[in-house]
Amino acid sequence: MSSTRVISLDFQCSMPHSLDEALEALNQEGAQVLAGGTDLVNNIKINAVKPRRLVYILGIVDLDYVSIKGKTLSIGAGARLGDIEHNRQVSTRFPALCEAINVIGGTQIRNMATLTGNICNASPGADTPPILLALDADVEICGAKDGAPVQRNRVPLGGFFSGPKKTVLNQGQMVLSVSLPLPPEHSGAAFRRLARVSLDIAKINCAAYIEREGDRIRLARIALGSVAPTPVRAPTIENALEGQKYSERLFHQAAELVAEDIAPIDDVRSTAAYRRQIASLLVREALQEAWRRSRGEG
Amino acid sequence: MNIAITLNINGKDYSLDVKPNEILLNVLRDRLGLMGTKYGCGIGECGACTVLLEGRAILSCQTLAFTVDGKKITTIEGLEQDGELHPLQQAFIDEGAVQCGYCTPGMILSAKALLDVQPDPSNQEIKQAIRGNLCRCTGYTNIVRAIKTASVTIKNRGRK
Repeated sequence: MSSTRVISLDFQCSMPHSLDEALEALNQEGAQVLAGGTDLVNNIKINAVKPRRLVYILGIVDLDYVSIKGKTLSIGAGARLGDIEHNRQVSTRFPALCEAINVIGGTQIRNMATLTGNICNASPGADTPPILLALDADVEICGAKDGAPVQRNRVPLGGFFSGPKKTVLNQGQMVLSVSLPLPPEHSGAAFRRLARVSLDIAKINCAAYIEREGDRIRLARIALGSVAPTPVRAPTIENALEGQKYSERLFHQAAELVAEDIAPIDDVRSTAAYRRQIASLLVREALQEAWRRSRGEG
Repeated sequence: MNIAITLNINGKDYSLDVKPNEILLNVLRDRLGLMGTKYGCGIGECGACTVLLEGRAILSCQTLAFTVDGKKITTIEGLEQDGELHPLQQAFIDEGAVQCGYCTPGMILSAKALLDVQPDPSNQEIKQAIRGNLCRCTGYTNIVRAIKTASVTIKNRGRK
């Protein structure tokens, strides 16, 4: 029987102040990254995970940043959701990202939790992956084995998730940052979600990103959560939209194709049938808002 | 392995040894006797365990004590000054925003974190700020009104 008041599991902890120290600690057996802890601490309490060592990375000041350099927004692994949401540059350039962050938990959770943690937790229903996928995010992974130099590489977020609660990260690796290209002029993005009450985990969520050329859709990226083992893109819809002239009817018809791109299941929050039915409506709404925003209409 | 940490709680320094698996909530309640912070759901959903960490509302039931080494923490016990209740505490009494009282410490601390950065909040901003604090008996109307009232009192007094 597990308690949510105390943690019965014994483990070691590391409090690195540099990335090198963190990576060294992560190479020890059973070591796991601890950031905001809002998922991990619960999972330890209910015995869902049993780490031997927690490596607390929020003491590494170099990882705590949100910055725009050139044409890229970079968000360090230490950046809390609340810091990202309230960053003026982010809310101006990426309003849909801020909207997706704002629905996560209460203020306290967003003051603690990191964006990187939301991704690494790899919940199929997490609220930031769909919008990050739509905005073409990539993640910077790093790791070092046995005193070898630190290896860093970037992977598109679409290739990062490998299953429910699973990512491509190996033991000893961690995510350093998430990067997003700055959206060009005449583009817009939107986020939609459906949950029973506001603090609930989503039954389904989705995001749309559109680049507009006159009255045509030059490029579209659509992504959904809680409808497959991982957050997914919707290539069938994207193909149906790209190069087409905008009309309400086009969005309606394209959104109806969502069934081709998703594989929802029945679970505690909803049913596969409901998710399939409501997905097209959410996609349509997200497309309409992304289109309006691409025209500078809020 | 125990870890030596120092905490500044309500302006007072504490040095203590904690285990890696010790939760901040239990350090506050069981080891320091600060019973104002409540254990509610234990899984980060109810906000009863809210404290301020460097002025920002966080959940002490989700926080491992070793991660807050060297930090400033405010609990509900730290709001009263020189025997005088904080305007938020007084407003909760005056507006009937307390019934069983279990959510009140967390509710007041979330409100304080808001008023410290937004002295003149709209009802919508108040509701956003306490979205992570569940009340199961008083109802939110009186709570929102109390926070609004406190903001006016603080403005009139020029004190936080």
